[in-house]
Amino acid sequence: MVLHTLRLATVPLTFTTSRLFLKPSPTLSFFSRHVQPRKPSFLLRAFSNSSAVQDTPLTQTSSDSSAARPPQWKAAIDFKWIRDNKEAVEINIENRNSNADLEAVLELYENMVTLQKEVEGIREERNNVAKKMKGKLEPSERERLVEEGKNLKESLVTLEENLVKLQDELQHVARSIPNMTHPDVPVGGEDSSAIRKEVGSPREFSFPIKDHLQLGKDLDLIDFDSAAEVSGSKFFYLKNEAVLLEMALLNWTLSEVMKKGFTPLTTPEIVRSSIVEKCGFQPRGDNTQVYSIDGTDQCLIGTAEIPVGGIHMDSILLESSLPLKYIAFSHCFRTEAGAAGAATKGLYRVHQFSKAEMFVLCRPEDSESFHNELIQIEEDLFTSLGLHFKTLDMATADLGAPAYRKFDVEAWMPGLGRFGEISSASNCTDYQSRRLGIRFRPSEPLQTGPKKGKANLPPTKFVHTLNATACAVPRMMVCLLENYQQEDGSVVIPEPLRPFMGGIEAIKPKLR
Amino acid sequence: MGLHTLRLATVPLTFSTFTSRLFLKPIPPNTLQTLGQFSRHVQPRKPFLVRAFSASAAVQETPPTQASDSSGIIPVSICLASSNHLTDSFYGCEFSAARPQWKASIDFKWIRDNKEAVEINIKNRNSNADLGGVIELYENMVNLQKEVEGIREERNNVAKKMKGKLEPSERERLVEEGKSLKESLVTLEEDLVKLQDELQQVARSIPNMTHPDVPIGGEDSSAIRKEVGSPREFTFPIRDHLQLGKDLDLIDFDSASEVSGSKFFYLKNEAVLLEMALLNWTLSEVMKKGFTPLTTPEIVRSSIVEKCGFQPRGDNTQVYSIDGTDQCLIGTAEIPVGGIHMDSILLESALPLKYIAFSHCFRTEAGAAGAATKGLYRVHQFSKAEMFILCRPEDSETCHDELIQIEEDLFTSLGLHFKTLDMATADLGAPAYRKFDIEAWMPGLGRFGEISSASNCTDYQSRRLGIRYRPSEPVQTGSKKGKASLPATKFVHTLNATACAVPRMMVCLLENYQQEDGSVVIPEPLRPFMGGIELIKPKLR
Repeated sequence: MVLHTLRLATVPLTFTTSRLFLKPSPTLSFFSRHVQPRKPSFLLRAFSNSSAVQDTPLTQTSSDSSAARPPQWKAAIDFKWIRDNKEAVEINIENRNSNADLEAVLELYENMVTLQKEVEGIREERNNVAKKMKGKLEPSERERLVEEGKNLKESLVTLEENLVKLQDELQHVARSIPNMTHPDVPVGGEDSSAIRKEVGSPREFSFPIKDHLQLGKDLDLIDFDSAAEVSGSKFFYLKNEAVLLEMALLNWTLSEVMKKGFTPLTTPEIVRSSIVEKCGFQPRGDNTQVYSIDGTDQCLIGTAEIPVGGIHMDSILLESSLPLKYIAFSHCFRTEAGAAGAATKGLYRVHQFSKAEMFVLCRPEDSESFHNELIQIEEDLFTSLGLHFKTLDMATADLGAPAYRKFDVEAWMPGLGRFGEISSASNCTDYQSRRLGIRFRPSEPLQTGPKKGKANLPPTKFVHTLNATACAVPRMMVCLLENYQQEDGSVVIPEPLRPFMGGIEAIKPKLR
Repeated sequence: MGLHTLRLATVPLTFSTFTSRLFLKPIPPNTLQTLGQFSRHVQPRKPFLVRAFSASAAVQETPPTQASDSSGIIPVSICLASSNHLTDSFYGCEFSAARPQWKASIDFKWIRDNKEAVEINIKNRNSNADLGGVIELYENMVNLQKEVEGIREERNNVAKKMKGKLEPSERERLVEEGKSLKESLVTLEEDLVKLQDELQQVARSIPNMTHPDVPIGGEDSSAIRKEVGSPREFTFPIRDHLQLGKDLDLIDFDSASEVSGSKFFYLKNEAVLLEMALLNWTLSEVMKKGFTPLTTPEIVRSSIVEKCGFQPRGDNTQVYSIDGTDQCLIGTAEIPVGGIHMDSILLESALPLKYIAFSHCFRTEAGAAGAATKGLYRVHQFSKAEMFILCRPEDSETCHDELIQIEEDLFTSLGLHFKTLDMATADLGAPAYRKFDIEAWMPGLGRFGEISSASNCTDYQSRRLGIRYRPSEPVQTGSKKGKASLPATKFVHTLNATACAVPRMMVCLLENYQQEDGSVVIPEPLRPFMGGIELIKPKLR
């Protein structure tokens, strides 16, 4: 995840998932939490607010409307680990300013474990009954066993249905628990973020400077006015050299990052909502950053992280194929709901933009070093372009739910008169891979006795995922236009980009 | 308009304009058609007309003259204002939902005066436009306009009379007369607005006229304008682009169908560089011809889509709509580029304006299942560089020739075997006056496939988008000052043409340049734009 942080799932998932409910029913999880899971009829009601569900016991409602509730996908959350590390998780939730309900998760989990045991117990009883019936029996005895088997089967059906529902609710509630946090991350709000590195110094201007909006107008590079008529506010056309500059930025970035062994990609920009959820974003709701397509379950992507995260969904990778390193180019679309205000001037915050995004899938033990590689690549790119910037180790309250640690790069924007975020590099550890179902099978270690068969394979593990902005075009343009403006109104193109825009060295005012 | 021809507005616009976002369910087309026919036979002076325009139960049968109270009929001006607010669920707006949100400057007088030619054109183009309906509505409107003017004059006369000294009884009579004239005027003016609205809706379906040289008939009648090259002879069993894309690890449809749905794809490895190279090379070539490069918004208001001649709504629409807004995804950069000069008057000296716009394009491809949909040939999202020209009417034919020449030059440079077709009347979308398609040989698919399209839309789009220019003042004999002496504005002509639709170019390049060892040669012109790569080779696994 990168620029203008998309809103992440920190609200209990009861709200966000089941789009089959017109209105969320926030009290549900509270209610069921205090319910003994073994009482089938009560539980059912606890799971559904719908008036279509009657007070009849579960056994009579095989076609009930509560089927609408199950989440459409399952996050492989490690509940046992959460239970065994309750205090650490609690502190983490607090540090990250999350409203996740750990208590509810734990209670639901305990209830589920208890119910699971009970189901297993009844299955065993049923097997015993079946076993007894294999021998020769008195008719009365057989009849008794048949009756007993029938009763057991009925209980089992009920309990299994309850178990499914309990698991579903656990999913809903547990998805809001944020990733754990790297121990070095500063605890606190944005002000607590630690400076990891600072490069360059603000350029001194000997003339009155313009902001990128003025430069864009004077040089006939950016047209917000027509776009406001055609599309709405915060849309824009790029024109003339700005088009070449966008191309050059992307081409140069791609070629630089490919040198580091990254595979280039272009991605779909329309994806199923479930993929958006699995990456930790909220595709629905009043304040969603996500544009939805009318009449389908599809959305526009806010970042290429989403389709790249999805490319290996539900698969088991070979350890030898890791790390997988991608550099993906896409357009990104964001509603920017609730983003009115000062920081929204010109190209800084827009509804549609081009971006090259890095994405890494790796073994858990490698993710920290890849996080360092990603931030290093970002720093190298921005240094090559001569920007003045600082790298921040973002504080806990500033992390989205998926991030274990996040480095932001903020660059100096003279026209805006402040530093502005131009990139972001996150280590999501197994937060996304547990939702997207991306595992790897460790290579077999040398074994003492050679055994054959599947039983011998080492168990799969979840990969770690990382993402980092290589180039978010509009914010780079803000930096380049504002930092490289000249007294005569022209803008110098930084050396590395010139070969990618036909040797142009400066953007000069047009003759009108 | 570019590839896989977007469905154009050939259905009476009553359908598309009615499907306002304020209706939860679109009114079945039949109802609307009936309504349109109904009102056409209604004398425009009867307040009955109001009902003819609205299926909403909220609108009652009271005559509009009583509409100033809360009788349920909302003055049109209020409805228009409030219809701008999505959140406004005030019932009165269902009434305004029937109104077109914008006005096409259609030349009705010309249509009436050239009725036979228009009729023949509609037939040749296989359009279901209702010329009879348009002309009848237009005549009614003209009559009503005259009547309105007559009453205005009467009213002025009454007002004039009242300026002098008068007997109180005479004054009272005049006051009364003035009042009743005013009431009639209000009624008639409302009727006039409604009649104009209906005329708009019905008339928008009339297609552009057709260039006299365009062959009449269906697709088979299209004339070959030019043919370049010949099919390559292969000495080995060839693969199609899907197989090549898989073997060379260039295209991933499987992951995309999980993540997004069928007909989406990822490009990978050299294919990404090839896309970039195609776009960069195309841009640089077309810029040499004086075209201004653009990138465009890919989300636009539905009205812009309509004004360009596409249908953003309806069951078979090719257009993706954004949930909860009146915005759509563009199917071609023609739409946002067409919109860039909307509602403006250009200087003649600024013409021609020539753009080359890069955008992603999004199409539902509703109803496009079948054989021609394999692999990259028909997809939901693709990159495209589109040329667009705004010019003086007298220059549009020359500009059209220039556009097709540029296309032919580009594809010749890439060594493709192709033919250029002058598309027959039944194959033209409503906006096109003439359209040249280029079909290139795709050996893997074993047929020619459309790779570009160049249309002259004359003033069809500019009359909807409101793009005019003011001719430079000719040297005048007597020099007069003031606005009155400015020459009248004219509508510009618009033209559009595909410079590079990436996926179909990839089909051509992969299938035509495949080698026996499974590699694919990159055509010379593209090599400098992809870091000198000459060949895409099979990867070692």
